[in-house]
Amino acid sequence: MDVNQRIHDQLVKAGVTLAATLPDDWVNSLIRIVDKSDKIKHVPVGREAETVCICSGAFFGGVRSVAIMGNTGLLTCTGEMATLNLRHAIPVFLIVSARGSIDDQKVYQEVQGRRTLPLLQAYDYPYKIINDPDEIDTIPDAYEWHRLQKRPFVLFLTKKLLGVTNA
Amino acid sequence: MKAAEVMKVLAQHRGDAVVVCALGMAANEWWSATKSEDSFYMHGAMGFAASFALGLALAVPKTPVWLLNSDGSLSMNTGCLITEGGQQPKNLKHFVIDNQCYQTVENMPMVGQGVVDYAMMAEGAGIKQTATIATLEDLAAKLPGINAAEGPYFIRLRIEAEPNYQRVPPAPYEGPEMKYRFGRAMEKKLGVKVFGPRGY
Repeated sequence: MDVNQRIHDQLVKAGVTLAATLPDDWVNSLIRIVDKSDKIKHVPVGREAETVCICSGAFFGGVRSVAIMGNTGLLTCTGEMATLNLRHAIPVFLIVSARGSIDDQKVYQEVQGRRTLPLLQAYDYPYKIINDPDEIDTIPDAYEWHRLQKRPFVLFLTKKLLGVTNA
Repeated sequence: MKAAEVMKVLAQHRGDAVVVCALGMAANEWWSATKSEDSFYMHGAMGFAASFALGLALAVPKTPVWLLNSDGSLSMNTGCLITEGGQQPKNLKHFVIDNQCYQTVENMPMVGQGVVDYAMMAEGAGIKQTATIATLEDLAAKLPGINAAEGPYFIRLRIEAEPNYQRVPPAPYEGPEMKYRFGRAMEKKLGVKVFGPRGY
């Protein structure tokens, strides 16, 4: 089965029914699957921080959600994640492309690849990097664990996992 | 209109709506007028109360959700109108407290002061129902229709800038306490399950 379909299916298994997204080359295939899903409501946004805050609002409606974006977008969310999610201890589950990795030689991804993990560590935001398709099945556990952590949690998807060849 | 007067009228017409308040004056004035526990008072993420309210509205589509936004917050995230227009949430009413200044920072002038028409921006983003209201009488007259209409509905409330913003204190809850108070209020009011059996 396609890895993006497997990710979708594991999100459904985790109880996710809403996904707020903004495109990035590497996660577009996942976003297209979410868009066609009859299990997950798709909410496209104009700026990544909206995904974080939409998911936070949905939390209080008893809805499990996911924010999907590229690594560059994640960096733009840091203020909102700190002053909303850390401030109020609201969990948010993010799926983010691991742009800027050693197999991603795009000049405009260089800083993201080098500084994103240290930034998450500085905020004490937990994360997990999925590089092997067999790890996709850990998504339901990761989802439960992020609720317990009561803060942003980032699940990174690598180029190898996604089989990206055109970006 | 003064903010406190506007909040009293809004509170009289609120009905069963869950309320999300942008940080600062909108949140403080709503708390002062209502002491409402089934309202969320943003402490941060300026500009994104709109996104929070949209997420909540999509999560509970049968429950009316009111957003009490501010002109400063809207200016910080005008893109929220586009996302809202794209979703067309039938249960969301988007109020903007427009006093043309950043009241919580010494009434410094609002960006685009006196030039920008927020209601026109909302219409351009696909929110077809809009209103600009400048008197308490007009507000009281229009609110029943606004409540009865399907959303999204964007309402610009023209209010007077007032000095000494600290005259109205904020809700006395720290961030995590507000989360649990609001979450428990949602569970009680709507029958949804916000927290699990172990409390998180």
